Amino acid sequence: MDPTTLIPTPDAIPVHWGWFHILLLVTFTMHILLMNAMLGTVFIAAVNHFTRDGGGSPPTQAVAEKLPFTIAFAVNFGVAPLLFAQVLYGHLIYTSSILMGTFWLSIIGILIAAYYLAYVYKYKYHQLEKGRALLTGSICILLLIIAFLFSNNFTLMLHPESWARYFDKPGGLLLNLADPTIWPRYLHFMAAAVAVGGMSIALFFSYKKHTGDAEAAPWIGYGCKWFAYATFINFGIGAWFLGSLPQGIVSMNTSSGFFFLVFLIGGIIAAVFAALLALKERVMPALYSLLTTIVLMILVRDMLRTLYLQPWFSRSELTVQASYSPLLVFLLFFIGGIVLIGWMLKITFQNSDDQEAQS
Amino acid sequence: MNYPVWQLDFFGGGFLIAAIAVFHVYLSHFAVGGGLFLVLAEMKAYRDEDNAILEYVRKHAQFFLLITMVAGGITGVGIWFTIALLNPAATSVLIHTFVFAWAAEWVFFVIEIVALFIYYYSFGKMQRKYHLIIGWIYFGAAWMSLFIINGIIDFMLTPGSWIENQNFWSGLFNPTFWPALAFRTFLALLIAGLFGFVTATWVKKEPLRITMTRFAALWLLIPFVLFIFSAYWYKVALPADIQEMLFQRMPAMTLYIDGFMWISPILVFGGLLLAIRMPQAVTKPIALMMLIIGLLYMGCFEFMREGGRKPYIIYDHMYSNSIFTRDMEKINQQGLLANAKWIKNKSITDDNRLETGRELYNVLCLSCHAVGGPMHDIQKLTAGFTPSGLDAMISGMETFHPYMPPYAGSDEERYALAYYIAYGLNGRLDQEATVAVNKKRIAMPPFDSDAATHVLLAWNTLGMHTISDTYEHWALQAPGNTIHAQLILRGETPEIVTDEVVLNYHMEPAFSNPADHVDFWDSSAILFGEELKRNTGLTGSKMQGTMTQEDGYFMADQIPVVPYTKSGYDPYPIVTIEAKSADGTLLASTKVAAPVSTEMGCYQCHGGQWRVEHKAGFTQTTARNILAVHDRMSGTQLLTKAETGEPQRCQHCHSVQPPAETPSTGQLNLSAAIHGFHSAFLKGQGAESCSRCHPSSPTGATQSLRGIHNEIGLDCTSCHGSLEEHAISLLKGEAEQGHNQASVLLEHLQQNVATATDEITPRQPWVNQPDCLNCHLEFEQPENDSTFNQWTQTTEELYRNRTDESGSLFCAACHSSPHGVYPAANGYGEQVHNIQPLQYQDNTLPIGSNLNCAVCHTVEMEDEMHHPNMLREFRNQ
Repeated sequence: MDPTTLIPTPDAIPVHWGWFHILLLVTFTMHILLMNAMLGTVFIAAVNHFTRDGGGSPPTQAVAEKLPFTIAFAVNFGVAPLLFAQVLYGHLIYTSSILMGTFWLSIIGILIAAYYLAYVYKYKYHQLEKGRALLTGSICILLLIIAFLFSNNFTLMLHPESWARYFDKPGGLLLNLADPTIWPRYLHFMAAAVAVGGMSIALFFSYKKHTGDAEAAPWIGYGCKWFAYATFINFGIGAWFLGSLPQGIVSMNTSSGFFFLVFLIGGIIAAVFAALLALKERVMPALYSLLTTIVLMILVRDMLRTLYLQPWFSRSELTVQASYSPLLVFLLFFIGGIVLIGWMLKITFQNSDDQEAQS
Repeated sequence: MNYPVWQLDFFGGGFLIAAIAVFHVYLSHFAVGGGLFLVLAEMKAYRDEDNAILEYVRKHAQFFLLITMVAGGITGVGIWFTIALLNPAATSVLIHTFVFAWAAEWVFFVIEIVALFIYYYSFGKMQRKYHLIIGWIYFGAAWMSLFIINGIIDFMLTPGSWIENQNFWSGLFNPTFWPALAFRTFLALLIAGLFGFVTATWVKKEPLRITMTRFAALWLLIPFVLFIFSAYWYKVALPADIQEMLFQRMPAMTLYIDGFMWISPILVFGGLLLAIRMPQAVTKPIALMMLIIGLLYMGCFEFMREGGRKPYIIYDHMYSNSIFTRDMEKINQQGLLANAKWIKNKSITDDNRLETGRELYNVLCLSCHAVGGPMHDIQKLTAGFTPSGLDAMISGMETFHPYMPPYAGSDEERYALAYYIAYGLNGRLDQEATVAVNKKRIAMPPFDSDAATHVLLAWNTLGMHTISDTYEHWALQAPGNTIHAQLILRGETPEIVTDEVVLNYHMEPAFSNPADHVDFWDSSAILFGEELKRNTGLTGSKMQGTMTQEDGYFMADQIPVVPYTKSGYDPYPIVTIEAKSADGTLLASTKVAAPVSTEMGCYQCHGGQWRVEHKAGFTQTTARNILAVHDRMSGTQLLTKAETGEPQRCQHCHSVQPPAETPSTGQLNLSAAIHGFHSAFLKGQGAESCSRCHPSSPTGATQSLRGIHNEIGLDCTSCHGSLEEHAISLLKGEAEQGHNQASVLLEHLQQNVATATDEITPRQPWVNQPDCLNCHLEFEQPENDSTFNQWTQTTEELYRNRTDESGSLFCAACHSSPHGVYPAANGYGEQVHNIQPLQYQDNTLPIGSNLNCAVCHTVEMEDEMHHPNMLREFRNQ
């Protein structure tokens, strides 16, 4: 069966695809940062609890305090890139989602469970003791499953040639396991999440130290080590991932192929810097290098998607039925929203510690 | 069509979306109204200088955060996931059309989360003024989320001018945007009160518990008035066709409409009740109960809103099964297989029909109909259909089920779909098309052409006669087959003899106990108002007796014969008639078939099967289902009545002429009703549509259309028109009598009919019938083979009541019954249908044909005294 006959016809878009592409990359960057912080910190907390037989430590307590927030924002900032991805690639994503529908929808249940467990971790941290290891382990596994399902969906959408399997298994139970890149890709993202989790801990304790917490210092190093070692491991996984890519997919004859390599090399260099800086506990420089790495790696991922889709689809094929006024209104809300959130945070930090309620 | 279908079967039919949406919608409205509840409760605490209230607000905020942010927020994402899985095409339209509305909504979502976290975690740590502002920001952002989502949801119900201009703003601010926004806003406030009850009744200290429970009650009661007004505004803002669909044409909606109406006062009552000082052990369960009732209330509303949208998912733009309205014509012309991307089989063969049917089901039906599951289970809904019956049903389902999309695809694909459902899922098959029947041997009555003094001619008045043996539940008509006879004294001038002779009849012995085979005699008193003895007909005729003398002929009126013997089904019982003089001398004898059939294929759509020998008769399953469907479609309670000992007679309501003493029920006569209704499902067919319900099939168990017209290739439609034409003529007849329902049914029949509706002559059943002389002009060879639309004017003009030019000999005496005119033949052979020609002429031709005047005349005849053009060789020998 010719896979092109299976690819659904996409709907028209209201503004040039470039707008959605930029919005996708920007919001995805925010999402991946939050998601990594969420998953990485809970992974580190789980390991910490397991190695201490459930015992607590300042970083696990910090993770317990913040985990519901990071989940809330990771989810929330996942909405926007998923929206923009659907605008550009909806016909592919809807299809791959349906092929793995049972798994895909199970994400909702898994996420609700993980989310409530995070609140249990937060509110029952002190009572739990030994149960903390099991609890954080459970949360971590649930989130890892979600991540694995996302990896499957967003690679299955790139492979229309594998879609005809649907005709034998239409019950939404397909995955993309035959893709040799699936495991290295997934592990690459997960190792990166652990690294960012380490960096989050380092940052948090840097802030604590800055605000006068004398016991914060050792945990800066703790976070930095997690970051650096996870990053080193990720060099290996990344190489595996690169090696698993189909031969010839990265062609220097295309701009996407060229930029793929440029961004990849840039990203690796920045990551090396980040890891080395972290080992020296130079948190802020390491953070900047890390952010550079993440932005470059997101661009690498984007180029790779374009390369994969070359035989099937290009964003420029999308029909535009121009309607720019909704975009303008959205941008106004977007800017207004940022201002309002900024104001709320400012008010909060100004007011939070200076007085009890005046009642 | 554009996308693969997640083949869910049990959980198909929108179960997942219903399960997740009702919860999410409830919680998301709480997330809006509850925001205002928090702020106003906090203000109350400050106003009353009451720290206990403030502490209550803090705890309520925690409860609110855990409920709305986790369960509410994630199920919101869950709905998005679910609709994209179940209806990706519609989701894609919504995403692509409203991407910046969704994006803006996301901005408000972020603001909500930030504001709510700050609100809760800064409780008691932030200046009151700023804390309240944060609360207001939360509520504002949450309400703006509602504002945007409300626009998109109502776009699906009333897209308004977007259909023409595709403009974002037209779609968002659609015709029901504002009333729906008001409705949902007030609903959100009510729900805030319901959740407020839960936390308030859990407060341990009584004064605070009562204060806050009463505070929550205000949230329920004050907005309620405005809520009811907004509900009315919402209703009247709906386009008329949606209102009609929702409130009149969808029986399934009654539950939700009634639920909504009933729950409204319950909520008010519950609110007032909780305001009373009561022990916690009482108020806690009431509060929880109220929360559940609120969920049901929400569910009722959401099902109504979704129901009003049917058969579309985006009104006038995309049907529930994801087919764009604009694509229907193309799909009907080219077929679905040629247009659907995710179907493996691109053509249908005998080997892949079942598999392709499944694929078609996935595309066309699964979005609303689960397989064996709780949502509109297709197996239950179609349990009564055979493949061909379901095929017919699907072909016209939108006519009487306007909430279902019209079928999209070719006829061949439709059959494959029906085959999959009826056979693949329900294991039902059609009977073999050809039924085995045996030739019936008749012992010919004697006739000595030299010595016989008399000729006895007899015929049945209805050549094609059907009864339904469903008397336990309902009756079309009583068993009753009427035989007419004329006794002719042979001579130079033969005479019709009526005086001083007696004509006796007796039924073939095997048929002499009809009461052993049908339940008519148990129900006759209720059905026909007369308590009858077993084996006695409505007019008193028994299985043997003396024929009554009428004006120029003899009659055995309504002999209650049924087509069953101990051996099985035989639709041609033989009646023997003997004419005797006053002194008892046998003057003549003959035999005639009294055709009667129970071959009505109702079981193909109404469940059950043939009752007798796999070829005829009704099972009670079929009989019950027919009443059940009537009840469902017309709001009657016929089945209950029938099952409680009151079987129903169709003509009681659907009479041709209502008895003068009872006012007209306003119902169509039975012929118009039955043909008008069923023609919606049998459009575009020829005589095969007739033989689904009448015993006219040339390969069926009865083969009633057996006369010479059948032999030379004419069929039902030659004289009666196609089913649609036939139905239109009857309905126009009723429309002329002022029956509005006829006009409604006529509306559905005006497409693809050969004869334009305004050219079809109205008619009344059993009065205005085809006339033989329409074709046989001057008794000559016809020039055409069709006579639809020319009717007899009165019953006197009917063939069965017509006589020859002498005015004494009935047409049927020499030509036999309608549908069985000589020479007649079918699977039962020739003898049974041509007894008198064989008896008197030793051929099967009409009496006296081929210049055989000697049957009655003892001299050569030169004048064509019976009708012109009769003295000649018979044309179709």
